[in-house]
Amino acid sequence: MAISVVMPALEMAQETGKLLAWRKKEGEPVVKGEPLLEIETDKAVVEVEAPGDGILAGITAQAGAEIPVGQTIAWLVQPGEAPPVQSGPAAPSARGTSAQERAAVTTAAAAPGPSAAAAPQISPKARRLAQELGIDVSQLRGTGPDGVITAEDVQAAANAKVSPAAAPAEGEKLSQIARLMAERTSQSWTTVPHFFVVRDVDATELRAAHQRLGPAIEKSRGVRVTLTDLLIALVARVLRKHPRVNSMWTGQTIRPNPDVNISVAMAVEDGVVGAVIRKADTLEVGEISAQRRDLTDRARANKLRPADISGGTFTISNLGMYEVDAFTAIITPPQAAILAVGGMADRVVPVDGKPEVRPVMTLTLSSDHRVIDGARAAQFMKDLADALRAPNKSLE
Amino acid sequence: MPETAQRELTFAQAVREALAEEMRRDTRVCILGEDVAEAGTPFKVLSGLVEEFGTNRVIDTPISEAGFTGVGVGAAMTGMRPVIDIMFGDFLTLTMDQLVNQAAKIHYMSGGKWKVPMVLRTTLGATRRSAAQHSQSLHAWVSHVPGLKVVMPSTPYDAKGLLKTAIRDENPVVFFEDKMMYKLKGPVPAEDYTIPLGVADVKRAGKDITLVATSSMVQVALGAADLLEKIGIAAEVVDPRTMWPLDEQTLIASAKKTSRVIVMDEGYGRYGVTGELASVISEGAFYSLEAPVKRMGAMHVPIPFSPPLEDLTVPTEQTVFEAARALCGKA
Repeated sequence: MAISVVMPALEMAQETGKLLAWRKKEGEPVVKGEPLLEIETDKAVVEVEAPGDGILAGITAQAGAEIPVGQTIAWLVQPGEAPPVQSGPAAPSARGTSAQERAAVTTAAAAPGPSAAAAPQISPKARRLAQELGIDVSQLRGTGPDGVITAEDVQAAANAKVSPAAAPAEGEKLSQIARLMAERTSQSWTTVPHFFVVRDVDATELRAAHQRLGPAIEKSRGVRVTLTDLLIALVARVLRKHPRVNSMWTGQTIRPNPDVNISVAMAVEDGVVGAVIRKADTLEVGEISAQRRDLTDRARANKLRPADISGGTFTISNLGMYEVDAFTAIITPPQAAILAVGGMADRVVPVDGKPEVRPVMTLTLSSDHRVIDGARAAQFMKDLADALRAPNKSLE
Repeated sequence: MPETAQRELTFAQAVREALAEEMRRDTRVCILGEDVAEAGTPFKVLSGLVEEFGTNRVIDTPISEAGFTGVGVGAAMTGMRPVIDIMFGDFLTLTMDQLVNQAAKIHYMSGGKWKVPMVLRTTLGATRRSAAQHSQSLHAWVSHVPGLKVVMPSTPYDAKGLLKTAIRDENPVVFFEDKMMYKLKGPVPAEDYTIPLGVADVKRAGKDITLVATSSMVQVALGAADLLEKIGIAAEVVDPRTMWPLDEQTLIASAKKTSRVIVMDEGYGRYGVTGELASVISEGAFYSLEAPVKRMGAMHVPIPFSPPLEDLTVPTEQTVFEAARALCGKA
């Protein structure tokens, strides 16, 4: 029985994925779990593993193609078996159309419903300009009324395309992940209305909890508990009370997420990835530490799987270990917020009218104003500060 | 001479001056209409003309638009250059056979042996609290007919220059004056000048959006452009000045320049002037447009007598401003 290889959906809002490369050739035998292809999503470049054993056959998508999620792009067949022929107008034929054209045809044919209606509209001027400048409009996000792609958007894309090439020869050629980071952060920063709420938090109790919990967990699980792990646990529990901060922006509406999945920004060579700890509000600190350790190791080894980086509902970015005081972070759409954590440092603070030296850390919440307003962000930060001041109570 | 350049006239004075100058220049020019002589029309546009030119050339007629328009067509065919005065544009309905089936056709059907060098002056425009039978803007009706030229000035300067050209033209010309604009003041040089038919005028230059406006809507467009400037949108205001001949190239060039267009006209939106102008622009500038050409015209209702309701039926500076802002994606 042939097994289909489909473009996976790694994100709730994801509509297409880009096929970067096949790791196996047509006709080559494949074992379940082996890396089969490499794809690019909104967030990262990931390897997709073979869904079963078989011989790779009937490849319909070539490297570089943008493919709707859920579409079959190849088959794993048994020796002597022919790949099934897809039915319907979407079936790729031997007419020699490019993979991209086929993908486009398939999108139109396979999605007569809402997604077809939601296809971005483009102005006549923008369409002409895109043709003249050789811009692929399917990659663009419109900034005109109702999201219409305007000539300005096309021109901006053309400028972005030209500038790396026009850069002096000694400029660094971007790796895949660096290029993705550049694209995603520019898109977020220029299209998401960010605002920032900053709060200093007395971390005396947090530090105490860290010192108390650390040795026990290290003993039982063999992982060193970091401050980030405690923050993940506490933030996740506070988010349970703030569903709006844990929501996503869909372009038209605000959609609450059923689970609290904390995405942890991790530095890797050439950039940053957001590795996800699912249902972190239900996990004990030890479990979070173990998962976070595993994710960190695999991120550094460039071995993250699609599931590791998908489905995050809120991001924590901690630069405390670099001794920064505070910073503002860029939101990862469709998430609505990201928490930037500064370093814990001793400061003189008034306690009961007297100066005392206490460990203090500065937290900065970046919020998407389409989802979260100032009061909601402030209330979340208040509850978070309370939780950090009494970590034991929150972690019970 | 700076004094001359600075001279300001009202729209009504500019029309009167054009008529007086043409009547002095050419004795064949005469005026026929209701209350045109001693009364000088209800809008006092013609005051003083009968005193200078006498009742042989400024002729009060009975209340019979079909009749005296027919007299005008005949007079024009036999060598006069009549200027017919139809007090309210609404009464054009009574002149239709003479205009559409006679004046517009005779040159063609006689193989060029006859011509009808007649001007029919009339009014348009609502918001004068004149109710449904005295407030319509029916210029689309005559713009639809081959053989008629249609002129719609929006300033005193244009009114004088275009009316003189219309009187000298060898074809029937229908000349629309916005009755709310008669008191509008503007610079009008004292020396003789004319403005050719079929040449649009860019009343204000801009780069972000084009507001194509006719007659009464030109001032509205200019007011909206002031509001738009405050939010960083530079609107270009283009006045076609004549519905036929139509300066298509200027409209298309402006649309290509700004990529966004609103067409506004005080006639009814449906099947109206705005539809024609929008089509001309869409056909000529399609690949330069960022958005569909938007039309703004009178609401499809009999113009109400109630002032609050009447004011809702026509585009205003504010509604044009809002529409332009939305079109530019800044709403």
